[in-house]
Amino acid sequence: MSSDYEFSDNDDFEYNDDEDMLDDDEGSASDMEMDNINDDFKIDKGPKIKVYEVEHDSLPQDAVVYLMRQDIEHISGIFGVDSEVASLLLRHMNWNKERLIEKYMDNVNAVSVAAGIAPPERSPEPSSSHGGPRRSSRLGFTKSSKSKSAEPSPPASEPFVCPICFDDTQQKTLSLTCGHLYCTACWSTYVSSKVRTEGESWITCMAENCTLVAPDSFVRTALADDTQTWARFQELLVRHFVSCMPSLKYCPYPSCTNTVSCPGAASKSALTSIVPTVHCGASDTHVFCFGCAIDTDHRPVICAVAKMWLQKCRDDSETANWIKSNTKECSKCQSTIEKNGGCNHMTCKKCKYEFCWVCMGPWSEHGTAWYSCNRYDEKASVDARDAQSRSRASLERYLQYYNRWANHEQSARLSAELYAKTEQKMEEMQLASALSWIEVQFMRKAVDESVRCRGTLKWTYSMAYYLEKGNEKELFEDNQRDLERAVEELSELIESPIDPEVIMSLRQKVTDKTVYVQKRNEIMLEDTARGFLDGRWKWNVDVEGFEKD
Amino acid sequence: MDARLRRVNKEIADCKNDKTSHISIDLVDNSPFHLRGSFDGPEGTPYEGGRFEVDIVIPESYPFQPVKMRFLTRVYHPNVSSASGAICLDILKDAWSPVLTLKSTLISLQSLLCSPEPRDPQDAEVAKHYMTSKESFEETARYWTQIYAGGPGKDGKGVVQKGGAKDEIAMAGLNKAHVDQFEALGFDRSKVIDVLRRMNYRGANIANINDDRVVEELLK
Ligand SMILES: [Zn+2]
Ligand SMILES: [Zn+2]
Ligand SMILES: [Zn+2]
Ligand SMILES: [Zn+2]
Repeated sequence: MSSDYEFSDNDDFEYNDDEDMLDDDEGSASDMEMDNINDDFKIDKGPKIKVYEVEHDSLPQDAVVYLMRQDIEHISGIFGVDSEVASLLLRHMNWNKERLIEKYMDNVNAVSVAAGIAPPERSPEPSSSHGGPRRSSRLGFTKSSKSKSAEPSPPASEPFVCPICFDDTQQKTLSLTCGHLYCTACWSTYVSSKVRTEGESWITCMAENCTLVAPDSFVRTALADDTQTWARFQELLVRHFVSCMPSLKYCPYPSCTNTVSCPGAASKSALTSIVPTVHCGASDTHVFCFGCAIDTDHRPVICAVAKMWLQKCRDDSETANWIKSNTKECSKCQSTIEKNGGCNHMTCKKCKYEFCWVCMGPWSEHGTAWYSCNRYDEKASVDARDAQSRSRASLERYLQYYNRWANHEQSARLSAELYAKTEQKMEEMQLASALSWIEVQFMRKAVDESVRCRGTLKWTYSMAYYLEKGNEKELFEDNQRDLERAVEELSELIESPIDPEVIMSLRQKVTDKTVYVQKRNEIMLEDTARGFLDGRWKWNVDVEGFEKD
Repeated sequence: MDARLRRVNKEIADCKNDKTSHISIDLVDNSPFHLRGSFDGPEGTPYEGGRFEVDIVIPESYPFQPVKMRFLTRVYHPNVSSASGAICLDILKDAWSPVLTLKSTLISLQSLLCSPEPRDPQDAEVAKHYMTSKESFEETARYWTQIYAGGPGKDGKGVVQKGGAKDEIAMAGLNKAHVDQFEALGFDRSKVIDVLRRMNYRGANIANINDDRVVEELLK
């Protein structure tokens, strides 16, 4: 690439007039503070991190498995139990080692029962061959071809009839240490159904009320040659581990198995001052927010505000539809939950949170507040009507922001089309001029930049909607306006017809404009990020984590 | 033979052979995977004397995933939706075990009728009614049994003709005098019933409800 312009690829791109572009109110003292905070985010490797970026690492599945193994070995060593027991104990305690150690030291039996390692004290066990102490340090399971199990087995004369499939030709059986014996084929279908249909890795014995859990080796045996389901099972274990660690997050993109580690965004309080946009490392397009469930880059606006805005967009446009729709977010872990069947008692697959479908309140509180979900429909319809008749002015204000938001959103959605058109244009340009393929890449760069900036702009409208009137908001909107104007100008240039006479000058214009747009975008992102770190932004509504004043 | 088919066929046959439980399972169409079960309302409950039908769908992964059941007969019960027949019962969800059968599940439904769990309701309005006045609730449940499940009348004699005139006030578990009182103010009778039912205008709860609030609701 020629050196008359350089951008995008270079992370260290510097603006000489950086300070001039920022509002003059910012004193030098706060700038120094900023630098200190920047230093906190910096680890001695890698390029300098910008104020709107966050330090993070990408971990492939193997790396996470390694972390899990370390915890398992640690616990296994302390408790003197084998690794499968340690693994179940950790999984039961959501990988909270400290709590596990405390609880285990306090009451080994209770923890072992809860972790599905030992049967409860007074369970009507079949004459137990493993009576002894309840403490299990070792997990075994019975595999037999003939009924040679120590557990109650049908009299030798009669063949084994599996109590689930009623098949008497199945000679291969399996059981957990509880001795509940079923044919291997049934176990295999059961385990596979749990793993594939339910996405469940906590697989209890098939017997009614039996709480024993299948250790990994049992699952492996039951699945036999079904390596796909076995891989899925292992993925579920990793996903569970990751979901238990505040500093880890699984990549939300379909069929991606990478995990992102971002300790800087692990606490809720950090999310009031940073927007942790991360890359999973598997693909350039796998960009998501570490702090919330939005699987895209929502900079510069913080998670709480972005979420509030999205909620508002949904509520106002299609309140009724939204309530009736079949999926909701678990109010505890934010994973999407589908309603199946008519019952309102929902349990989140991921975090086991139990709640009421209608009012979204915790199910445990329905004992005292169960009537509240009955009122919901009534209230929602009232709200919907209120929304209709809400004062014209506030509705118009909202629409003004919403339309701009929607406009950029739509542009971003049409970006694939724009790329295709641009590609074509680049070919035309080559034909109409002496420029090489490399030399017409400036068009692609321009499109890249315009798409990126529209992403920023889109979210600035959600932020501006909630910003309290005043000087700070005006400066914010000045930056926003400058960026918007620059992006529109760039878009116009990109779409202008190709005239062979002026290609060289068009190239210069597009290149200059691209640099300018990128600069405006940097300013928008940096200044907003600084504002969060300085606590400069004030809201016209209550925002989670912000003081009311 | 397909394991699911073998198992369901055996379950249906076992149920046919069992003459003591009075539980029946019949094919709805020609598929053994869509069935209709029925059982008697348990003795000593407001459901006594009624026969309750349940729609049964055997999922692809049965018995490793729970069977889907829903009341076809309308039931007035805190854990059953009075509108859809949807049932809130643990064994139909997380507590399902592959060793449970259609028959054992229907028996569990039968015992659910014996022991409502209003703190874990499927139908919040009915649960409210139950919590406010068990006596009034049982009267309504009995009336529903009579109307929908062919149960005996209040005095134990005769069955209300199915599809015959229903007493909407009794259906909603309300007091006729209360309905009359608001109807006299010029409101539509069915609207009055609807509002009073939703507000749980029953028994001791009436003291908590201001007449003005009722009127306010009626005006909406
Ligand atoms: Zn079997
Ligand atoms: Zn067992
Ligand atoms: Zn990814
Ligand atoms: Zn976020």
